[in-house]
Amino acid sequence: MKLSDLVSNLGLSIFPIVGLILFLAVFIGVVIRATSRRRAADLDHAAGLPLDDGPVLASANPSHARAREVRP
Amino acid sequence: MTPNPASAAIPADGHAAAHGGGRLESFVYDDAIVRKFLWATIIWGLVAFLAGLIVAFELVLPSLANWTLESGSKPFGFLLPLTKIEWISFGRLRPLHTNAAIFAFAGNAIFCAIYYSTQRLCKARMWSDTLSKLHFWGWQLIIVCAALTLPFGITQGKEYAELEWPIDILIAVVWLGFFGTNFFMTLKNRRERHMYVALWFYIATIVTVTMLHVFNSLAIPAGWLKSYSVYAGVQDAMVQWWYAHNAVAFFLTTPFLGLMYYFMPKVAERPVYSYRLSIIHFWSLIFIYIWAGPHHLHYTAIPAWASTLGMLFSVMLWMPSWGGGINGLLTLRGAWHKLTSDPVLKFFVVGITFYMMSTFEGPMLSVKSVNMLSHYTDWTIAHVHSGALGWNGFLAFGMIYWLAPRLFQTQLFSKKMAEWHFWLGTLGILLYVIPIYVAGITQGLMWRAFDQNGALQFPEFVETVTRLLPFYWMRIGGGVLYLAGAIIFAYNIYRTWRTRPSTYETPVHTAPALTRAFTDPAQPASRLQANAGFGHKGDVFLQGWWHRVWERKPLKFTVFAILAVVVGSVVELIPMMMISTNVPSISSVKPYTPLELAGRDIYIAEGCYNCHSQMIRPIWSETERYGEYSKPGEFVYDHPFQWGSRRIGTDLAREGGTRTSQWHYQHFIDPRSLVAQSIMPAYPHLAEQDLDFAGIQSRVNAMAMIGVPYGSAVKAGKAEELAREQAKIVAAEIASGGGPANLEGKKITALIAYMQRLGKGVSSFKPAAAPPAPAPESDKPLIGEAVPAVPSVSSREGSGR
Repeated sequence: MKLSDLVSNLGLSIFPIVGLILFLAVFIGVVIRATSRRRAADLDHAAGLPLDDGPVLASANPSHARAREVRP
Repeated sequence: MTPNPASAAIPADGHAAAHGGGRLESFVYDDAIVRKFLWATIIWGLVAFLAGLIVAFELVLPSLANWTLESGSKPFGFLLPLTKIEWISFGRLRPLHTNAAIFAFAGNAIFCAIYYSTQRLCKARMWSDTLSKLHFWGWQLIIVCAALTLPFGITQGKEYAELEWPIDILIAVVWLGFFGTNFFMTLKNRRERHMYVALWFYIATIVTVTMLHVFNSLAIPAGWLKSYSVYAGVQDAMVQWWYAHNAVAFFLTTPFLGLMYYFMPKVAERPVYSYRLSIIHFWSLIFIYIWAGPHHLHYTAIPAWASTLGMLFSVMLWMPSWGGGINGLLTLRGAWHKLTSDPVLKFFVVGITFYMMSTFEGPMLSVKSVNMLSHYTDWTIAHVHSGALGWNGFLAFGMIYWLAPRLFQTQLFSKKMAEWHFWLGTLGILLYVIPIYVAGITQGLMWRAFDQNGALQFPEFVETVTRLLPFYWMRIGGGVLYLAGAIIFAYNIYRTWRTRPSTYETPVHTAPALTRAFTDPAQPASRLQANAGFGHKGDVFLQGWWHRVWERKPLKFTVFAILAVVVGSVVELIPMMMISTNVPSISSVKPYTPLELAGRDIYIAEGCYNCHSQMIRPIWSETERYGEYSKPGEFVYDHPFQWGSRRIGTDLAREGGTRTSQWHYQHFIDPRSLVAQSIMPAYPHLAEQDLDFAGIQSRVNAMAMIGVPYGSAVKAGKAEELAREQAKIVAAEIASGGGPANLEGKKITALIAYMQRLGKGVSSFKPAAAPPAPAPESDKPLIGEAVPAVPSVSSREGSGR
């Protein structure tokens, strides 16, 4: 008897329903969590991360005396 | 990077406490590696676009070369020899184009984005400069290996996973060993506790691509440059399209979304529109995407449940895709006026718009009734190009226009050139996709058209191809515009680079280290008044405290991301391997003879699957045109499957026995001598090159190792003996039909043996009235059936289930 014969006869048809309920629940959990008002401050901090490049101390190669802000 | 000792004296101030709470450290970013990937993106982009232009030209070349003036002269006749060069035939070059576009151009672009943004989002230099360099040079080596193998017919024959097994191993090492290790160690050493959403997308990219690549590429080698997929037929098709669709998802979508979430706020100079939406976007996208693969196989021999599941998840995918697209576009809220003056924003906005168009189109195409028309046509080609040229291309261009002045510490050489690039690129995409949409729908409708007598209105397949040639010419126009834009782009960046300072300034950044002592905020109390213990627990859960903890923990986060993508994979793929009713066996289906196997390998090497399908769908117009529809059990020995995804030529699933071997010989030597309007390349070299009979044994043995019942053919020398025996028979047939003698040692004989075998597994069932076929001897099961005398392609007894 092959493994595939065994699996074929396990009667797995209930699993799709269980899976559906499980993942719907997880999805709803994620949505509730993401939209919870208590997180506003955390999320604002997170959203600002790309714009926060942090302070610059100096240039590692001192021949460049000019400020780093050369960006156009 | 060793922290500067001088900076250790800086006390951790309030700012520091808010972030990591540890000692203030100084560090510099590694931008040299970003510059390397930037150049690689530009160079490989030009190569990929040029290769695309060449393969597009190859489709119109035969008709151009045969264009005859009234005087009888052919002004472009001198081009005809180009259709006979084996190394540049469409079947071999098309994989080169797709691999260059996906893995070379888009690949280097995402590495460029990841190396730049990860360092800044983590406030840390890449963990190891050595690994960064190994990653860069290793990846370029892989691309060069692809360019040196594909034109020579060294391929696994699985779309977008063509590279042979030694290169596959190299990919796994470079991707996970160098890139993955370096990325995750950088995450571990980061100085910003919260992982920004872009990093989530990068994590999902790295782990999922590893999983897809490893499982799809599992193969048994039959030599250094040849291997057979461990999966066969239906299972191989499911694994392959699980891989290929998620290569789109996790190579061309998630890293580019990460790129969008980092660079769009940078360019717009404001945070992303909704960080909440990005969370929902991320989890639903990676969870749903992984299920969508079977929509590439509607109405093929896969079980209907898998096909329906793929369709449903594809339709659902529309929502997270548009959620992400809207999130990107609305980041421009209050800054729309910048769009008129900033070429970077123009590229981003049009790129995201193309993303939204193709992620609407994708779910639509995955609906079975739409797919019935679109499948195997150019509609799919137009769809992927709106995604690749519009979304991936434009996001990469926009990012590089933004990065170049910063990385080269100068001004962009010419904004005007960038504007020209933008307009040429946009017009190029439109001029490419619109005619190709028309071509796809035209051909789909022609295939299914019946006349008033109930016969196929266009019974000659070639009619449905020549009708497309005007659109193919327009596509070349679109491709030229897009390439011209890219050349201007490359020149612009080159001139920008020329104005760089003599030495790059390397600013030193500071940020406090993350301390181990960090404790997550205490679990919140339940907000409920009178309730059972379970209710209180539920309320605590709903406050989401647990997920905030995850977002700070890369390992846990990664585990959950893996879980999200593994679930769909397991649920779809395991039943296909484990539950036997999914692939009902057909007793009359026998393994390929050693000669047919060698012929099949030539079919794969020449990339025939790029134009020919081997899968007849159970649709009236298809069974009328090609014969009995294909059954899952017919493909159990097909390592790898060769169902194809596009019919530029006819379906070959029932080709065996419908034409003489001499016809095939003549057709391979000069297709246009038999079908005047054919656009197929000529293969005269197959009649000149000797077949490597001695090498067949190792191939048969490799197939036997993955479970193909070859019986005594695995004995040393037996496969060669059987192959030579059959080659004599096939060569004699060609000769008796009027072809040349002495072909028994040539490659073309093996290929014709394979052609004559296609579809025979089912039709070798004889109708009840016919005398029963003699049972083949057990130690010679293969030869007797090579060329059955009665080509009955529609015998009802063979229909199985």
